[in-house]
Parts: sequence; structure tokens; C-alpha cells
Amino acid sequence: MSRTEKILWGIALVGFLAGIAGLIQRFTGGHTVAAYGTYVPWGLWVAVYTTLVGISIGSFLIAALGEGARIRALQPLTGIALLTALAALAGGLLAIWLDLGHPLRFWKLFFSTSPTSIMGWMAWLYTVYGILLLVLIYLKWARPTSPLLRPLFGLGLALAVIFGGAEGALFGVVSAQALWESALVPIRFLVEGAASGMALVLFLAILLGYLEPEPGRFLRWTLLGLLLATAVLEWSEYSTTIYAGIPAKVESLRIVLFGPFWWVFWIFQIGLGLVVPIILLALSGERRVWLGVAGGLVAFTSLSAKLNLVIPALVVPELEGLRMAFTGPGLSFDYFPTLSEWLLAVWVASTAALIFLTAYRLLPAMRARPA
Amino acid sequence: MAQEIQTRIRTLATRRAFLARFASGVFASLIAPAVTSGVLDQVEAASRERTGVGPALTPELPEGMNGQHPIERMLKDLQRALQKPVDQRRWAMVIDLRKCVGCYACTVACIAENKLPPGIAYRPVITETRGTYPNVSRRFIPRPCMQCENPPCVSVCPVQATWKRPDGIVVINYDQCIGCRYCITACPYAARSFDSGYFYSDFEGGSPQPYELLPSPEYGENRVRRKDASPVGNVRKCHFCLHRIERGQLPACVLSCMGRATYFGDLNDPQSLVSELASRPNAFRLKEEMGTEPKVFYLV
Repeated sequence: MSRTEKILWGIALVGFLAGIAGLIQRFTGGHTVAAYGTYVPWGLWVAVYTTLVGISIGSFLIAALGEGARIRALQPLTGIALLTALAALAGGLLAIWLDLGHPLRFWKLFFSTSPTSIMGWMAWLYTVYGILLLVLIYLKWARPTSPLLRPLFGLGLALAVIFGGAEGALFGVVSAQALWESALVPIRFLVEGAASGMALVLFLAILLGYLEPEPGRFLRWTLLGLLLATAVLEWSEYSTTIYAGIPAKVESLRIVLFGPFWWVFWIFQIGLGLVVPIILLALSGERRVWLGVAGGLVAFTSLSAKLNLVIPALVVPELEGLRMAFTGPGLSFDYFPTLSEWLLAVWVASTAALIFLTAYRLLPAMRARPA
Repeated sequence: MAQEIQTRIRTLATRRAFLARFASGVFASLIAPAVTSGVLDQVEAASRERTGVGPALTPELPEGMNGQHPIERMLKDLQRALQKPVDQRRWAMVIDLRKCVGCYACTVACIAENKLPPGIAYRPVITETRGTYPNVSRRFIPRPCMQCENPPCVSVCPVQATWKRPDGIVVINYDQCIGCRYCITACPYAARSFDSGYFYSDFEGGSPQPYELLPSPEYGENRVRRKDASPVGNVRKCHFCLHRIERGQLPACVLSCMGRATYFGDLNDPQSLVSELASRPNAFRLKEEMGTEPKVFYLV
């Protein structure tokens, strides 16, 4: 085990152990330990779920493009990308499972699926995608020359694009939330997810010392393109919203841009998640350190974009005067995650990291050749 | 002695006469403008009408004084509707905002009826202040579930735990709901609540109070609320007191309204009070532009 790997294990274990406190509180206190409730029904855990699922899609795209679309430059990263996709998917599903009011009833998603609900479709899409990931990891590990690999990767590519968009559509179809209701949201989810997943694989590949010049170059330009596309999409969404002036939508956007958590947008989402990585990727050449920093920044700040989508839409009252109409726990339009929510989020992310590290250790064939 | 008394009476009479004349003069100067502008004629005419001499006025009197009491009429409407098959009923509510005084009796009655925990109110009352000083007015807007004809909360539920009944009431199956809260985000009226599991005793210390252990009659299920079982962890909402309707009773909020501002009945019955009120030109619905077709009408 390399020194870097040991450090990663250490960080993941510390996070896992610290997060157990949040897990215990979640099971003993139910949802009373969280700051979300009736008026802001979704919070940090939903943002973590969408972020991790996006990362899973993005990292899977590397494997699918390499093996399914035969982009040779990406093929050395297939193994690490598949493991990242699996770990991120597991973490995302774990976050949303713990967010349910009745986690033990999750099976109803399969036996009583509503055909009109995008969330109902997602349950099946996640299942198919998760099984496909496991099959692909097995084939890549046990039968790397199997003829099934290419068609399965092709299927996975189509699936990743479909459910990457569907993840955004889950928000985009909600007409009651002005900030969500937009045809750009599914596209943003897909592009942002692709960027964050590819960025994480780039970061891990550099950290673990497996990045060759060719995949590095390919990822650098692809990531740069995705980040520029993200910037265009965000500019397009925000500028048209402000110009159109629909009050509820503008109010949500005002909260994103100038509200009490303005720094999440300007510092994390735009500064560290977009501007700095674009500069690094565009100007720093092929130097691994800077590529790794850019990748890490994009991956680790991707949560901010999801937080800025999920929460600001919900903190604007649906009806004026509702804020003071009745008071009590859960009847607040102000949301900031509780310590329990943060701890559980850390536990989920650490669990995902441990799944990755365990698989990475147990399946040496999945590792790329050292650069 | 007698002469002295006579003198005093004369003096008094003179003084009285003076005061009477003075007062008459002042009064005449006060009413002169009214007389010249015909106000007194109008007052006199009104007085004649009140005594039945002229045509009747249309005063803003409570309906009970104008004929059949609205509660009586709504109960009859309800009985008539219950005679019909369930799919031929269409329950609706009309709230007269001119009569709502913001007493919150409906909010409290609903909480008491459905045994709602802290942080859950199916029918909050929104206070709206309009205008600027000195022209300021207040309006109270009770907000039950709108029981939409096209409920956006139903289609998003991933497990078919919520649906619109044939009579139009949107209900939730607590045993089916997984608590994902997607429906809460989809409701444009914020009419759905998440039961996080709070008890009043959580804020007072100690174990649940006896009143918290009373069974809720919602959906006729008589569930006793516990921390580890539904409806804790579920989404909850107003159901027009379905359990009461099915017993031939009016919803708790309707009965408790002291301003008689809330009406309930079958919109499919053209003779019902709600049909009559909902078709008035001063009726409106919240966020009509959303296309949800609410069945709660407001009169302004």
C-alpha cells in the first residue's frame, strides 16, 4: 500500500468514525435531528445524493467512452473510473435512503412504482445501472477480454446519459418551485455531473500515480470543455431569469447570489469550482500537480452547485404571509443543516470513499498501469 | 312667600325661554346645510322603509336571519350528496374573506379534531396587510388543502401513496408513504406537511401527555401516534375531515368558524350553497394560473 493510499484510508476512516455519531442520531432521533421539515422538505442529504450520483455518472462516462466508444486515451482509466462510479452511486443511494421518512419501505419503490413519477423511474434506472456496474466490474476483473464488455459499456453509456438527465428532470418538472422549473436543469445536471465525475477520476488518478500523459491530456481538455459549458448554462439560466423577472424565481436567485450564503455561490461554486479550475486547466499545461488541483477543486466543490439548486428554491414561501401564518418545528423557511446532518453527510462520503479504497485494494486488476 | 315663588317661576321661565331659543339657534345652524342638501329627506325615507312603509333595504345581515341557517342548509346539502354514488360528488369549500376575522378557530379546531402534533397545521390562516397608512386594511386567508382537480402532488409520488378519490378529495395512505417528501415540493400551496416526529412533550420535558396518545380519526383509522410508526415519517395533509363527511358531519373548520366564513358542500349539486357561492363573480381561487383547478374558492 502506497503512502498516499494510507493517507486516504486514514481520512476515510476518521470521517467514517466521526460520522457514526450522525448515523446514531438519525436512528435514535428520527428526522427531529434535522433542520428540514415542512416548508423546506429537502436539505443537505438530498444535495449530497444528487452530487454523488452526478459524480457516478461522470466517472462512468470515462469508462464507457473508453471501452464502449473505443477512445483509447481513456482506456487505462477504465478500472478506476468504474470503481469511482460504483462507490459514488452507493454513497448517493445511502444518503437518499437515510433521508426517507420510512427507509425500510424502500422496496415499495419497486413493487408499487408510479409510472407518472420520475422518482419512481429513477429507482429502476438506479437498479439497472447498479447491476450493470457490478457486472462490468466483474467482467473487467475476471474476463477482461469478454466480447460482452463493449455492448454492455454502450448500454451503460446510454443509460448514464438518460438517467443523468432524468436526475435533473426530477427537479425540472416541479412547476411549484420556480427555480427548478427549467428545461436547462436536466442538461445542467448532466454536464455538471460529467464534469465532477471526470474531475474526481482525474484527481484520484494523479493522487494514486496512475495518470499517463495521454489520458491526462484528454481529460484536461474534456474537463475544460465541460466547465465552459457549465459556465454558459449557468449564465444562460441566471441572466434570462433576472431579465424575465418572474418574482418567485428572481427571489430564489437573489438568495443564491446575495442571500446569507452568497459565499457558497461566489466562492465555492463560481470561484473554486469554475474560475480557478478553468484557469488552471487552460494555462498550466500538462503539469500533473495543477491538473490534480483543478480536478480536486471541481469534484469537491460540486456539492455547492447542488446546494444552490435544492435549497434556495424551497426557502421562498409558496404564498406570501405563510412564514408567519403558523409556527412550530419544521415550519421555517430558513434552513441551515444541523450538526447531525453534517455528520451524516461526512459518514456517507467516507463510506463511499471506503468502498472505493476497499475495492481498489481487493481488485488489483482494476488499477491502471503506473505512469 | 307666594309672591316670591311667583317671581322665581317667572325668572326661571324667562331663563328657560332664553336657553331654548339659544339652543334652537345653534341646532338650526348645524342642520341647515343638511336640510338644504336633502340629507334629512333621505334619513326620513330610510326610516319609513325600516318601518315597512317603503321598499326593503338589503342589509348585510347574517344568513341565519335572512332565511335558512347556512349550517342547516349545508347539512342538508351534505345529506343529499351522501345519497349519491361517491363518484358523483365533488366536495368543495368556499371561504368568504370579508367575513373571516382571523380568530384561528378553524386552525385550532382542525388540530384538535385530527390530533395534530407540533408543527403541523392543515389549515393555517395567512394574514395579509394591504395599503399604507392611513389607508391600511387587513385580510385573513385560511389555507386548507385546495383538493385540486389536477393535483401536482399526486403524479410525483413514486409509490402511489397519494391519490385523488372519486369525490375529489386528495388522500394519503400512511402505510404506503415512504416519506420522500417529493409531493411537498410539488404543492404550489404548501398544503402538505412532514410529520418529523415531534410531540408537545418534547418541548415540555417528560413523556407524552395523555392528549397526545388519543387516536386520530383521520381516514377512519384511529391511529395512536408513536415515534416509530406512521404517520410519523409521513407526509400529511388536510382531507376536508373525510371521516366526518362520511358520518354526515361538516368538517371541523366549517363548524368552528364563528364568522360563518367557511362553507362546504357538493359542487356537483346545483342547489348546494357552495355551488351558489362558488359561481358568484367575486369568487376566485389561489394561483389559478398553475392550472391545478383548486376546489377551494375565496369570496372577496
